[in-house]
Amino acid sequence: MVGVLIEMRAAVMRQQLTGKRALGGLALILLVTLLAVGTLLAGLKHYRYAGAGANVVATLSLGWLLGWVTGPLLLGDDAALRMDYFKLLPIAPRKLAYAMLGAAFANVSLVFSLIAFAALIALGAQSGAAAALTGLAAVVLDLVLAVVAAQVAIAVFGPVISSRRGRDFGTMVLALVITLLSLASSLVPFVAARLTNGRSPLLSDVVRAVPSGWGAVAVDAASRSDWSLAAVSLGGLAALIVALVLAWPPLLARRLTMSVRSSRRARAARPASAHAPGPTRWPLASLPPTPFRAVLGRELRLYSRSVLRSMLLMISFLVGVLVGVIGALSGKATGLPFSGLLFTVIAAACFTNCYGDDGTSLWLTLVVPGAARADVRGRAWAWLLVVGPMGLLLTVVFTAVSGQSWSWPWVLAAQPSLAIGCAGLLVLVGAWSVNAPAADGGPAPMRVLKTHVALIALPVVVLFPAAALLFAGTAAHSTPLRWLAVPVAIGWATWLSLRCAEGAARRLESRGPEIFSLARAPAA
Amino acid sequence: MAALEFAGLVKQFSGIVAVDHIDLTVPAGSFFGLVGPNGAGKTTALSMAVGLLRPDGGTVRIFGHDVWADPVGAKALIGVLPDGMALPDRLTGREILRYLGLLRGIPRDVAEQRADELLRVLELDHAESTAVVDYSTGMKKKITLATALLHNPRLLLLDEPFEAVDPVSAVTIRTILRRFVAGGGSVIFSSHVMALVEGLCDHLAVLAKGKVVASGSLDEVRGAKSLEDAFVDIVGARADGAQGLSWLAS
Repeated sequence: MVGVLIEMRAAVMRQQLTGKRALGGLALILLVTLLAVGTLLAGLKHYRYAGAGANVVATLSLGWLLGWVTGPLLLGDDAALRMDYFKLLPIAPRKLAYAMLGAAFANVSLVFSLIAFAALIALGAQSGAAAALTGLAAVVLDLVLAVVAAQVAIAVFGPVISSRRGRDFGTMVLALVITLLSLASSLVPFVAARLTNGRSPLLSDVVRAVPSGWGAVAVDAASRSDWSLAAVSLGGLAALIVALVLAWPPLLARRLTMSVRSSRRARAARPASAHAPGPTRWPLASLPPTPFRAVLGRELRLYSRSVLRSMLLMISFLVGVLVGVIGALSGKATGLPFSGLLFTVIAAACFTNCYGDDGTSLWLTLVVPGAARADVRGRAWAWLLVVGPMGLLLTVVFTAVSGQSWSWPWVLAAQPSLAIGCAGLLVLVGAWSVNAPAADGGPAPMRVLKTHVALIALPVVVLFPAAALLFAGTAAHSTPLRWLAVPVAIGWATWLSLRCAEGAARRLESRGPEIFSLARAPAA
Repeated sequence: MAALEFAGLVKQFSGIVAVDHIDLTVPAGSFFGLVGPNGAGKTTALSMAVGLLRPDGGTVRIFGHDVWADPVGAKALIGVLPDGMALPDRLTGREILRYLGLLRGIPRDVAEQRADELLRVLELDHAESTAVVDYSTGMKKKITLATALLHNPRLLLLDEPFEAVDPVSAVTIRTILRRFVAGGGSVIFSSHVMALVEGLCDHLAVLAKGKVVASGSLDEVRGAKSLEDAFVDIVGARADGAQGLSWLAS
């Protein structure tokens, strides 16, 4: 049976790795190989402080184990051998459970993990053969733990992740991962310094206390000839594996007889307080009942309820804040006043695909006579109301906290004008360039490219008059000239935004069906 | 005046003709069925009729308003239920109706009252606080039908309105549509279910390979046969299933 399952997994993976997916798979293999080799090199490196190597390897092992456990969940169950395939087969649950566990070991990811976990052997080898052998045992146990824990995680969390709210949560976690990866260049040196300078005992204790750190603890103990601690650590790993293996069959049986659909329907029937109708809140309450208000209301609600929009806002916020804060923690506070600007630019670039991201729901606008103009204005204002105040708050607070008083004219010229200008620009770009999600539901390559281009182009277009005055004022040591940038920037951005919104409305009115067709077709 | 009139309507996708010079008139006050096998061009024709898909040639008129030359005039008269298209699904059913009411310029109190009635009649009031994303397929169909009815249109264009709808709701919808036609409204709807078309419609057209192959009153199209038999004859389909599979249940 294990053989059949392995064959089936191989066939599914062969089918998945064709055409563009094969290229993507190749890129992923390259990336994971680099990460694995990087982890191995971290084990080979000599550190100045005792125990620093074990801290680093324990932290990296945590990353690998988290990858094993969360990867299949974030990708939606085991992509190759979904448990649902076996629900109707007349096979004893225990037999199926151990067959699936056996088949799970036929996984190419184990090769990369082997390279990565070999850091434990390398770490031990620095202190002698006995520690290296301890490392070898730890590698084997970590690999087994990774496979078993991944299977158990799918059985436990799979149904939750398959539900809509679970997927929403998974998407938010993914957003967090993307954010942390995008900050890796500043985050990694920061964490590495804390782990290796011996001055952050709490962080070291945490990464060693979790099971992913037990292998490194065993190697560290063996290098000090503390054999009892080494034995307890390795024994703990083995005991954890045994516990998970014993828990696996009943968990799988529960998973195969559980209906995700019925639990989702049960939730659907329950009133959701977040969506409960209530008094109309500001700013809607103060507006007359017009089509513009209708769109503004829809958009503001979607910003708080749509998981895609929440995710994009979260990424924008975290990257904007963390880039400045990590820089400041590392002793460079120059960038802190610009956190709000960074947040605003990223939030604008992320929403330049507003019509593509909303997909076929555009039909509702197109069948209502004269609704296009209200749709464009409502979208622009909603984005401004959501992003503008938060960006301004970040700018004011971080500039004040940073003590960089020279930056006030710069940020006060840039922040409001950037928010106002981008509000119009993003609907114009959204109406002219529509990228539907790819067939697999992910962002289409052109959408990603557009976002990256917009990250550069939007601030350049909105801020160039202000930048000219600010640079001229700085060069001429003229404070009035620098402060003149503030009204000039706001005036230019307002004019630009109005023109862009007008252009977007005309585009939607004249080419609505074509925009709809593009939003409807999955991107190639 | 005709409720809907296609004249020489044509649409191609990548060289494949989906709708091939259709001429068709839907009389005002009729309950009109649009039937045809999969891929016949029903959805494409209806999409062009409501302004969601630009035709390559020909015209569509709704009560005399050219949908593509006078879209505002035409769209004010129609209610649309498209098949398989999204709604702003993080809103509740009531929020979507309130949003559409404002968008169409319906006075707020009128829109609220109509939304109340529609939610109650379509039995969606028990899911008052549920976002549409959590609706079942049938509930989504019903809230989309509510959006089509909210502004009291003169012509309803419904693409597969009964698909995935439970029998009780289907009876409700049929009653609503019959009342709508009895009150002077016109309905055109597409369906694969011949019994449904036969039970509801007074006129119909049969589409096959992008062309109208039969149209007229129900009796004219079906003659002495049942509509299902007449349909199979008209489209020249192979109603098979009697041959092969000798191993099955043997």
